Amino acid sequence: MEKVYLCKATDLEANQVKKIENNKFGDIAVYNLGGQFYATADLCTHATASLAEGDIEDDMIVCPVHWGMFHIPSGEAQGFPCESDLQTYPVEVVGDEVFAVIDVNENIIAKA
Amino acid sequence: MSNIIKTLDATDCLEGIESVCDIESGRISGKIFYDQKIYEQELEKVFARCWLFVGHDSQIKKTGDYITTTMGEDEVIVIRQKSGGVKVLLNACPHRGNKVCFSESGSTRGFICNYHGWSFNVEGNLTGQHESGIYEDSNFDKSKWGLKEVAKVASYKGLIFATFDPESPSLEEYLGPMTWYLDALFDNQEGGTEFVGGCIRSTYECNWKIAAENFVGDILHAGWTHDSAARAMLGGAVSKVSDFEESYSVNWNGHGYEFALDTVGNVAVLGDSQLNKYLHTIKPSVAERLGDFRSNMIGSVSSCTIFPNFSFLAGQNTVRIWQPRGPNKIELFTWVVVNKSASQDIKDRWRKGAMMTFSPTGVFEMDDGENWEYCTKTAKGKVTAKQDLYIGLGMDSYLEDTDLPGNVYKGQLNEANSRAYYQRWQDLLQSKSWADVPNRNKGKAEVEK
Repeated sequence: MEKVYLCKATDLEANQVKKIENNKFGDIAVYNLGGQFYATADLCTHATASLAEGDIEDDMIVCPVHWGMFHIPSGEAQGFPCESDLQTYPVEVVGDEVFAVIDVNENIIAKA
Repeated sequence: MSNIIKTLDATDCLEGIESVCDIESGRISGKIFYDQKIYEQELEKVFARCWLFVGHDSQIKKTGDYITTTMGEDEVIVIRQKSGGVKVLLNACPHRGNKVCFSESGSTRGFICNYHGWSFNVEGNLTGQHESGIYEDSNFDKSKWGLKEVAKVASYKGLIFATFDPESPSLEEYLGPMTWYLDALFDNQEGGTEFVGGCIRSTYECNWKIAAENFVGDILHAGWTHDSAARAMLGGAVSKVSDFEESYSVNWNGHGYEFALDTVGNVAVLGDSQLNKYLHTIKPSVAERLGDFRSNMIGSVSSCTIFPNFSFLAGQNTVRIWQPRGPNKIELFTWVVVNKSASQDIKDRWRKGAMMTFSPTGVFEMDDGENWEYCTKTAKGKVTAKQDLYIGLGMDSYLEDTDLPGNVYKGQLNEANSRAYYQRWQDLLQSKSWADVPNRNKGKAEVEK
């Protein structure tokens, strides 16, 4: 297990998403859904796109390129063109700091 | 980003084009309404060069709001930017050319091509594709392959115009003093205007010029062509235009506005007294804003065309584009314009009134369509097309001594604007560049304050 620092909780407003660069595990998207924080891989599983540039609609992230959707809490792909689920990471909030908890054994580096 | 459009190389002018109109003698030839070669030249030398009306600010209020229309036969998307500006983009994917937007209007994040999944954002920039890996392996530079942007976009009082030609004069210079007259409809109240309802679309088997020219300066037809329609709407005949004490035909760069100063002659044909009343109610404030003269034009017997194919009627408040679809076919896009500050009831009355009169089933529109289709179809006959058509009314009616801006002619029963319209058309077809287009304006370019 590795704890990866993402951002300060106060730096991410409600219903916003932010991309955190990470060379080891691949870039991470961190979300604030009404005060609850989530983290997923930032790269869309369909084509090259940073999900952090997409729009949040309820608890979905809409990819900015082909508008495919993933369920943020579960990473579940919602249908064509997004058919492979998105990697999600458990989140820990310690004080004002938001971390992703990444299982080093499971998470090989995402394709760049 | 290099999404700027490639412009056309000017082809040689069509042989014999100098003889199809002899404006000084007051004659044109029917050939100009039914000739494929002339039409091809028009797409290049008129529609790919002139400023064309593409929409109204009120149709695209927030970022990502768009409408689709055409500039000549070129399909375009008119879309509001984050910056507040407007872009006009070719509605064609730069991969295989497929159309990327199929709806008339909407609000969107961008456009995704159905063919290979190329995706474009509101700015028209290419943001990605399906199977993006293969593009990355091919060193594809996506910054070079966005939707192509037209050369220039500009607006006047909410009316958005665009041109494919980077060499065209500015919109301000192009419209010249016609803007002074446009204000009578488009800026007669604080807050300006908006389009109400949707776009009414129809087709006619007529040449685009015959329709545009009707609005540039032909009130002459109304008393005869529209007699029965007027009786249905008004319970009596159309105003006898020759009875008006004062009326004018004004033109500039081929644009033309013919008008009387009777305030409500046009609005009256909608058959709704509440609309007449509205214009009478706002008239004093219009006089304060624009002066007495133009306060008499807010719904008077009048019509206008901005060259080449944007027309409107103050009073009926119908605004339209005669979209060319070949030498003998047009697609007509019509909208209803109202003052933003008017009540919802007044806006609805105008929308309904315009539908009753100037829509595909409108009582006046049907009259016009029949005439225009046969003005076009007779020219299918080779011999008929060769014959002269008379366009010489009001030949000596130019007014030297007037304070009014533009080229001003006495009386609206006058073919001066029609002549100026066809002259401009012929000048453009005979000119390989804007520098070659003769300046035939002789009136005041600016309004004396």
